[in-house]
Formats: sequence, C-alpha cells, structure tokens
Amino acid sequence: MAWLTWRQHRLQLLTGLVGLVSLAIAALVTELPLRSAYHRDALASCLPPSLRSGCDIIVRRFEDEFSAGVDATRALIALPALVGLFVGAPLLARELELGTARLAWTQGITRRRWLSQKLLLLALATLAGGAALGTLTMWWRHPFDAFEGRMSASVFEVEGLVVPAYALFALMLGVLAGLVLRRTVPAMTATLVAFGVTRLLVGRFLRPRFMAPIHESATSFTSRPHPGWVLEDTLYDAAGRHVTTGREDLAIVHAQLAGIDPHSYLAALGWHRVISYQPADRFWAFQAIEAGIFAALALGAAALALWAVRRTPA
Amino acid sequence: MAPLEAHALGKRFRRRWVLRHCELELPERAIVGLVGPNGAGKSTLLRLAVGLLAPSEGELRALGRDPAREPAVLSEIGYVAQDAPLYRSLTVAETIAFARATNSRWDGDIAAAFLSGLRSDARVGLLATGDRARLALALALGKRPALMLLDEPFARLDPLAGRSFLQLLMDGVAETAATVVIATHVIADVERVCDHIVLLSGGGVRLQGDVEALLDSHRLLTGTRRPLGRIAGVRQIVRERHVGRQLSLLVRRDDAIVDPSWSVDRVGLEELLLAYMAPEQLPLRQPRERAALRWHG
Repeated sequence: MAWLTWRQHRLQLLTGLVGLVSLAIAALVTELPLRSAYHRDALASCLPPSLRSGCDIIVRRFEDEFSAGVDATRALIALPALVGLFVGAPLLARELELGTARLAWTQGITRRRWLSQKLLLLALATLAGGAALGTLTMWWRHPFDAFEGRMSASVFEVEGLVVPAYALFALMLGVLAGLVLRRTVPAMTATLVAFGVTRLLVGRFLRPRFMAPIHESATSFTSRPHPGWVLEDTLYDAAGRHVTTGREDLAIVHAQLAGIDPHSYLAALGWHRVISYQPADRFWAFQAIEAGIFAALALGAAALALWAVRRTPA
Repeated sequence: MAPLEAHALGKRFRRRWVLRHCELELPERAIVGLVGPNGAGKSTLLRLAVGLLAPSEGELRALGRDPAREPAVLSEIGYVAQDAPLYRSLTVAETIAFARATNSRWDGDIAAAFLSGLRSDARVGLLATGDRARLALALALGKRPALMLLDEPFARLDPLAGRSFLQLLMDGVAETAATVVIATHVIADVERVCDHIVLLSGGGVRLQGDVEALLDSHRLLTGTRRPLGRIAGVRQIVRERHVGRQLSLLVRRDDAIVDPSWSVDRVGLEELLLAYMAPEQLPLRQPRERAALRWHG
C-alpha cells in the first residue's frame, strides 16, 4: 500500500519537493547579501531595538533595501493551502468522479484501511514539507525578526510550527471536501474557502486570547518599534475617558497653532496611552497553541473522513 | 447458502425507487444472466452486492454476509464495474501490483494467464478497449472469487472481442466453481453461456429461474384470431400478438397444451425474455380475467 500511495501521488510529492528545493535555493541566494549587510551595518549593535540615536535610520535603510524579499515571504502564507487544493481535494473526488472508487473499494482491503494508509503517508510528507518551509522562512527572516518581532500575523503565520499544522489541516480538509462533494473542482473551491475562513477566524478572534495580554501605560506619544504584538493602543485623558482620534487631532492642531510641542502639550493635559500587547517572548507558546489547534482540526477532519468513507455510495 | 440472495430489497435514489420488493436467490455454481432494459436496476443490484451502495430497505446477502456491514466479504467477490474502471496512469504491471497489495487472497498466476500478449509496461490508459476489459477481468479473477459479478462487460466491446472475453471468463471460472452474474441488456451476449436467468424490469424481479425450466414452462401458441377464453394447460398469457388474421400467444403453462386449434411451439430464450421485459404487455394481475374480457376479431 505504501508503494501504491507513492505511485499514485508521486507527481504531487515530487512537485512539492521541487518547489521546496527551489525556494531553498532562492532563500540561500538572497540571504547571503542580506546577512553581509546585516554585519556591515553593525545592526546587531541596535539590538534589542534600542533608542540609540541613528539606529532608526540604519534599520529603516536595511529594511528598505530588502523589502522585496520580505514582501515575497508574505506570499508563503498561501503555500499550505495548495496542499489541500492539489493533494487533498482530488484524493477522493477524482476516484469518485472517474469511477475508480468502484475498483478500489471492492478489493479485499476495507475502505477505511485503504484511506488511512494513504492519509498517513501523505500526512507525513505534508508535515515534513511544512516543517522544512517553516524553518526555511524563519532562517531567512532572522535579521528582520530581530527588529520587528515575529508576532504580527504576516510573520507569525509563515514561520515555525504553524506552517506544517496549517498544511496538515488543509490536506485533511481537502480530503473531507472531496468525499462530501464528490467532484474535484467544487471540492477545491470548498477547501480554499473553508481553509481561509478558519485561518481568519483563528487569527482574528482566538489568537489574541491565547494568553491574557499585557497592559502598559505610557506617557510617551512617539510610537517606537514594538517587538511584541500590539492588540490595542488607546489614548485616555486625565479623567480616564477614552480619547477619540478626532479629539486627539484637534488637540494636536491646537498645540501647533499655539506654537507648542504637541507631545508635551498632550502630556501636560494629563493624557496617556494604554497599550495592550502580547510580548515577543510568547512566540513559541503561541506557535504551539495555534499549531495544536490546527493539528486537532486536521485530526478531526481525518477522523470524519475515515468514518464517512465507509458509507459513501459509489 | 445462496451466493447472492435478497429479501424485500429496495434502493431509492433521492425520491426515486430504482429497486423495490426484490426477491432473489441464486443457486450455487450457476452462470446467471442478469438481464433487463436500460435503467432496470441491474447496476444498482450489483453495486448493492459489493457494498458500494447500502440498501434503502430489505436485505441483501452475498456469500451469506451483508457486504455493506461486513466488507471483509469483498475479498471473495470479483467485481467488474460498468466501463471497467482502472487507473489510467498505471501500467499493466502496476495495476496487477495494486491488486496484489489490496487483496490477501491474490493469485498472480491466474491473473497472468489472462494477460498473455499484453505488454506489462503499457499504460492502462493507452490500452485497446478489449485489452482493458481483459485486465479488469484478470483483476477480478485473480482474487479467486466465489462470486463473480460483471456489470455490462460487453457494452464497449465489438462482437468478436465480446466473444473472446466471454470465453476467457468461462475458462477462468471453470476451475473455481464460482457463481457468475453477468448483467447485460443484450440477451444474445449471454444466451450461450447462462444456465440461470434473472430478469429485472421496472425495478423488480420479473422472472428468475433455470433456463431449461423456463424454456420448458413456456410455449408459443399460434392460431386464427378468436375471442380468448380459457385454454387448458395455460396458466398465464405473457404476450399476445396479432399478425394479419393470425394470433400468437406466448404463454406460461401448467400442463401440456393439447387444444388442436392451436399450434404449439417451443420458444427461444431471447423471445421469452423480451416478452417479459415489455411492462405494458405484462398481465401481472388476474391474467385470465383480463384476457377473457377482450375480443379479437
């Protein structure tokens, strides 16, 4: 059976491997100048993000220089979905569409065993590929992570443990969609939509609540780079009431007209900011929680598919 | 234990009943022709027999077990689905390897005997239709099945290929003592080899039995047109047909028909089955009464 799974999916597996190797080569080629610039500009001396004067200029120039690469890593967010679309969704939908399910499901092996062996091998390949991708991205982004942190969504979702977990979930979701919808193209569409919506819901509504955020009060009004994940940044007046942006703007204009420094004016009014954020050192805990959620969802989808395949008419 | 039996079997797709009130019992070692017009439920019956579908009502047993609940029975059933689905991207050798990997009872020698002349590295998708049918048959027979089910195996074969396919099949099952069910809408395809007939029409079993017994219990009566009364020895008029001033009746008999005003002939299998297939000509209920009410002249 392992041989059969390999034989029937070798095109997809090899395509995935070639894709990963190409990405690794691209990463290696682009990383070399990046690291040398990092050392040339002595960027490490600006760490942890210090307020040493001039650092902001050096860091900004470094980030500008390599912004194309950073933008490219954002596109990696889509890769796990491809596993669901091109491996998961056709897995059963194609068998049902072409009628080969009638061949496979009438052999001396039960449907459940047939499917579980396929899923096991494909899941292992997916996890391996996802882990490689997550590690590669993390290695490439290392210099940027030092300044920006890794907690913002566009970074958090392409690095580390969550990447294999997303890919596994996409795979199982695709399999389930193929079994239920029985046709490849609708199954691919449904996989994409369900995967995207789940990712969005978890990222938007669950992830900020994985752990209680830290609240910090500040009287400084200059925004400085924050390596954590800022969830909320609000201004309160002396009486503790929320200051709307309109009122803040009005106060600033007022100060400017009067020829006073707006920052010290706001401070003089007794206004202060309250920032609630998830600190950067929670990265691995958050990764573990999010990866756990998607792994559990993947297992749930797989269990559902294994249960449903027994009673699927063919 | 009947190789395949059904009691009050019904299968519904959405709100349409494809099979209803099916009673079926096949004898062991029989070569069964499962015949009926298109859409009669032949494929559905076979798919129920291999657990690809679950019954909506009633029960079905293949080799004494319920295939939908006990899929283990599938290792003893050879099934060739309609259009003989195979993985087109695999080669012949890989297809055989697939069957070996998925069947514990696999017998490579039987399968190999069927594939002589087929290049083992040929892609299944590029094989001629006849060769593909042969490969599908080899996969089914390699399981050394006790029950062989073939769904319209001749549909895509030319008459010559169909004939050699049938020959292969008969050779293959000759040694195994398997019961064979061949579903087809072309009676001529199976006429030469069947010793048992199951006729499906309108979702139900219209006729089943041993071919010899069926032929023996039916007669073709020919005579001049006349009012139809009771004819001694006739149990049921299956079909009546008028040709000019002639009246010809296909009847099921209880006894010898000795009425000298009729000329009595034996009937061919194809004609017999066709007569039962046409549902509008089936006097299913109270045949004598209906026949007696009509006047032909």
